[in-house]
Amino acid sequence: MAMTDASESAATPPATGPAARTVDLVKTYGTGDARVDALAGVSVAFERARFTAVMGPSGSGKSTLMHCMAGLDQPTSGQVFVADEEIQGLDDTGLTKLRRDRIGFVFQSFNLVPTLTAKENILLPADLAGHQVDGAWFDYLVDQLGIRDRLGHLPKEMSGGQQQRIACARALVGRPDLVFADEPTGNLDSNASAELLGFLRRSVDDFGQTIAMVTHDPRGAAQADRVVFLADGKVVADLVSPTPDAVLEQMKALSS
Amino acid sequence: MWRATLKGILAHKLRLSLTALAIVLGVMFVSGTLVLTDTLQATFNNLFTNVYRNVTFVVRGDAVFTGNFGAVRHPIPESVATSVRAVPGVAAANGTVGGYAQFVAPDGKAVTTGGAPTVGTSFDPNPTLSSLKLRQGSAPGNDHQVVVDAGTADKYRFHVGEHVRILLVGPPQTFTVSGIAQFGTANNLAGATIAAFWLPTAQQLFDRVGQYDSVNVLAAPGADKAQVERAIAATLPAGVQVVTGQTVADEQSGDINRALGFFSTALLIFAFISLFVGAFTIFNTFSIIVGQRTRELALLRVLGASRRQVFRSVLAEAAVVGLIASVVGLGLGVLAALGLQALLRGFGITLPSSGLVFHARTVVAALVIGVGVTVVSAVSPARRAVRISPMAAISDQAVESERSSGRRSVVGSVLLVAGAVLLAIGLAVPAIQLVGIGAVAVFLGVGMLSPLVARPMSGVIGRPLAALLGPSGRLGRENSMRSPRRTAQTAAALMVGLALVSTIAVFGASLSQSATASIDQALRSDYIVSSGGNGGPSSGFSASVATTAASIPGVTAVTSVYAGQFLIGGSVASIGGVTTPGLSQTINLRMASGSGEPALAAGELLIDTTTADAKQLAVGDTERVTFARTGPATIRIGGIYEPNVVFGSYLVGGRFFLDHFDTPLTTAVLVTSSGGTSPSAHAAVVDGLAAYPNVKVQTQAEFKQTQRSQVNQLLGIIYVLLALAVLIALIGIVNTLMLSVFERTHEIGLLRAVGMRRRQVRAMIRSEAVILSIFGAVIGIILGTGLGVALSESLKKQGITDVVVPFSRLVVFLVIAALLGLAAASWPARRAAKLDILEAIAAD
Repeated sequence: MAMTDASESAATPPATGPAARTVDLVKTYGTGDARVDALAGVSVAFERARFTAVMGPSGSGKSTLMHCMAGLDQPTSGQVFVADEEIQGLDDTGLTKLRRDRIGFVFQSFNLVPTLTAKENILLPADLAGHQVDGAWFDYLVDQLGIRDRLGHLPKEMSGGQQQRIACARALVGRPDLVFADEPTGNLDSNASAELLGFLRRSVDDFGQTIAMVTHDPRGAAQADRVVFLADGKVVADLVSPTPDAVLEQMKALSS
Repeated sequence: MWRATLKGILAHKLRLSLTALAIVLGVMFVSGTLVLTDTLQATFNNLFTNVYRNVTFVVRGDAVFTGNFGAVRHPIPESVATSVRAVPGVAAANGTVGGYAQFVAPDGKAVTTGGAPTVGTSFDPNPTLSSLKLRQGSAPGNDHQVVVDAGTADKYRFHVGEHVRILLVGPPQTFTVSGIAQFGTANNLAGATIAAFWLPTAQQLFDRVGQYDSVNVLAAPGADKAQVERAIAATLPAGVQVVTGQTVADEQSGDINRALGFFSTALLIFAFISLFVGAFTIFNTFSIIVGQRTRELALLRVLGASRRQVFRSVLAEAAVVGLIASVVGLGLGVLAALGLQALLRGFGITLPSSGLVFHARTVVAALVIGVGVTVVSAVSPARRAVRISPMAAISDQAVESERSSGRRSVVGSVLLVAGAVLLAIGLAVPAIQLVGIGAVAVFLGVGMLSPLVARPMSGVIGRPLAALLGPSGRLGRENSMRSPRRTAQTAAALMVGLALVSTIAVFGASLSQSATASIDQALRSDYIVSSGGNGGPSSGFSASVATTAASIPGVTAVTSVYAGQFLIGGSVASIGGVTTPGLSQTINLRMASGSGEPALAAGELLIDTTTADAKQLAVGDTERVTFARTGPATIRIGGIYEPNVVFGSYLVGGRFFLDHFDTPLTTAVLVTSSGGTSPSAHAAVVDGLAAYPNVKVQTQAEFKQTQRSQVNQLLGIIYVLLALAVLIALIGIVNTLMLSVFERTHEIGLLRAVGMRRRQVRAMIRSEAVILSIFGAVIGIILGTGLGVALSESLKKQGITDVVVPFSRLVVFLVIAALLGLAAASWPARRAAKLDILEAIAAD
C-alpha cells in the first residue's frame, strides 16, 4: 500500500465518504406503453480503494447506472454524488470537468482515437485539460502494463489486449477518483482478460485506485472486492469477497 | 487537442484535399485577378510617366466637362505657344494635335486593334519633348509624310520610303513612311496604332488649323520650375491652363486605372461566385466529416473535451485546410496572371515588360478570403459537432434531430423571402449591391429548403434510371433518397452554378430578341454601314463615307449617325446625332409626342420616353446642357420617342451635332437604295464604299445577326467565367460521393459478397451522381429562369422589351449537368468497385 498516500492526496476533497454513490436513482426511457424503467430507484455506494463489480442480466440497468454516475446520461430523478459532490445541476462545462478530472473510463470496444499513437491516446485527457502529466507516474503505469514498446504505435497496429491496456493507462494516468470499466474484457480472449483483470486488481491493492466494473463474466467479478447485482433496474443482491461459484450461483438465481 | 486536430487532418488528407480544391480555385481566381490588374496598372503608370518624363509643363484648355473617356477640352490658339516660348526659363514649347487615323494594311484591309485606339498625332520634332523616339528614318517634313509606330510597322511590314494609305475623318489619303518610331521603350502604346504627321498636316487633318490641342513645354536646365509655371500662367488667356507633365501622366494613368478597376471588379464578382459555390462544398464536406466522426468526437467529450474544444477543433481543421488551400491558390493565381499576360501579348497588346506586381494586399486578401470562407462555411457543421452527446461514443443511437430540420426550414423560408424582397428592391432602384445580397440570400434559402423536396424529387428522377439499370439503378436511387439532406446539400453548389448560368441565358435571349425587335422597329434603311465590330472608344470612320454613299447610283437616302457625350442636368450622358435630310426613309423614330424630323432640323433635342418619365420632362421644356465645343447652353425639347437600343436616350440633328462637337466621327451611315437589298443594289453599295476598308456594309438581316452574335459573344465570356463555379460544384459532388463510398464500405462489401458485380457497383454510384446532378440542375434552372425573367423585366425601360425563355438551351444545360455528374462519379465509382470484399466486410 505504498502508493495509497500519493493517490489519496490527489483527490481534492478530503477523502471520507465513498468515491461515488447514488440515492434513489431513477431513469426512464420513453412514455406511455413504450415506457421502460432502466433504473427504478437505485441507491448504491462505491467505497474508496475498492474494486466493485456490477452484474446483472441484459437490460438490468447496469450500463445506465454507470452512464448516470459518470455524468454521461441524465437521470430522471434521484441523486448522484462523486466524491461527496452532487453532480445534478452541473452544467455541461461542470460535467466535462468532472469526467476529465475525476473519472476514468475503460470501454468494451477500447475507444482509442485511431489517428493518435498509443502515447498520444494515453496523454489525451491531460492534453484536453491542458495539464502536465506526472512523468514518473506515467512511466510506472507504462511499465506495469508492459506497453512501453507499443507507445509509438497506432491502435490499428496493436492487438485487442494491447489496445485495452492503453485504454487502462489512459483511464489511470490522471489519478481519477473513480474508474468506470464497462465490460472491459468483453472483446478480449481469456489470456488477455486475465492479464487485464490482474492489472485492475493490482491497481486497487497497490495504489488504492477505486474501480467500478460492469461485467458479464463471473470469473472477472470474482476478482472484485464486492459484487452488486442488478435486475430490472433495482439492486437485488450484494456479495462481499465473492468467489466465482458464489457469483455464478447468484446469477443463476437471477435468471431463473 | 491541437495534436488530435492535426492528426485528424492528416488522416483525412484525401477528402480534405478535394474540399481544399474548391478553395484553391476560388483563391486562384481572386489573386490572379488582383495580380493581373495590379501589373497592368503599374505598367500603364510607368508608361505614362515615361511619356511625360521630359515634358515639364503642359498648356491646355480648361476641362469643359469630364466624360467617361476623360476630360473634354477646347483647343487653344497657336498664339499661346508663341507667348509661352517667350517666357524666361522656357527652353521649348511645341504644340500638338491629335485625332483619328487608321492605317490600311498592304492587303487592302483596315488595320484593326481589337479595341485599342487608332491614334493620329502631330510629330514633335524636339526629341526631348517627343514621346515618339525614331528608330529608323526621319521626322515627317511635309504634307505627304508619316511616321509609323514600330508595332504596326513590324506587324504589317511597313518600310521607310513606302506608301501607306490612312483612313481619316476626311477622305482617305496616301502617305510616304518617313520614319518608324517607338513609344518610349515599347513598340506601341498598349496595342494602339500611331500615325504621326508633320504638325501643319496634322492641324489640317484634324480640323485644328491655327489651333493646338495642347502645348508641351520644356523648362530650361536649372530654371526654377515653380517660377516658370507662374510666369507661363500669367501669359495665358482665359480658359487655358498650365499643369506639370506629371499631372497629365497621373490623369492618364488615372483614367486607365479606372477602366482597369471596372475590369477587376467584374472578374472579382465571378471569383466571389466561385467562392460562394465553394462555400457550399466546404459546408457539405464538413457536415459529412462531422457525421462520420460522431463517435470520435463523442469519445473526446467523454474523455473531457469541452464543447468549446470540440467546436474549435472543427474550426481549426477548417482554418488549416483553408490556409493551405489559400497559399496554393495564391501561387496558382500568380501563374494564372502570367498566363493571362502571355495571352494579352498573343492578342498583339504589347506592353513594356514589367515584372508581375505582387502587392502585400493580394496576399492578405487571398489568405483572409480563403481562410475566412472555409472557416465560416464550417461554423454550422462545427455547431452540429458540439451538439453530439458523449453518449454517442458508447451507444450507436442516431443523433439526427428533427427539431433542427424544422428550424432550418423556417430560417430557409425567411432567407428566401427576404432575399426575394431585396432582389426586387435592388432591381427596381436599381442597386447592384442589393441584387447581390438578395441573390445570396435566395440561394442560401433555397439551399436550406431543398432537403424538403430532395426525397420525392430524387425518387422521381431516379425512377427511369431504376427501370433502365435494374438493381444498380434502384440502389443508386435509394441511396440518393436515403439522406435527403446530404443529397440537397451536395446538389446546392450545382444549383447555384446552374441558376446563374440560366439567369444569364434568359437575360441574353431577352437582350438579343429585344435588340433585333428594336432594329426592326427603328430602322427603315436597307443597309447599315458601320465600323463592323472594330469597337473601342474611337470606333467610327470618315465623314466622307456618307457623301460617297450618297453618290452611289440607286441610293435614295443617306443618314449619318454620330455619337458623343454631353452634360445634361449636371451628369454626363451619351448623345446621338442624325442628319435629317431623308431621315424618314432610313429611321422610324416612333414619336410619342412632339415632332421628330422637324425638331431635329430646328436644332432641338429629342429624348426617349424613359428619360422623359424619369426626369419628368415634356415637349417644350428647356434643359441646361454643356457641349464639348460650345460649352453651356439651353436646349428645347422638341419631341419624345419610344425607346430603342439603336439610338440612346438623347438625339439631335446632324448639323447641330457637328456645330457643337469637335471633329466627331461618324459611327454609322444608314443607306436606302431604290434597288432595296437586291444583289445588284447590294453590290453597288459595297463597291461604292470599297475605298473605305474599315467600314462594313450590312443589310438589316446581317446587322441583326451581328447584334445577336455580339450578345452571344458576351454570353460566351460570362459562361466561361461561370464555368469555374460549375467545376467547383462538380468537385463537391466528387467529394460527397467519395465520402459516401468510405462511409458505406461495409455495405458495398456486403453487396459484393452477395453477388453484385463491379460493373453494377459502378452503375450504382453513377446513378446516384446523375440523380444528384439533375436534382441540383432542375432547381437551379427553375430558380435561374425566375431570376433571369425578373432581371429582364426590370430592364424593360432600358430597352429590354421582350422577355424570352430559351427552353432548348435550358434543356441542353440540364443534359450537360447530368453528363457532368456522370463524369464526377467516375472516380468514386471506380474506387467503390475496387474495394476488397473481405476488408470491406471487416470494416466497421
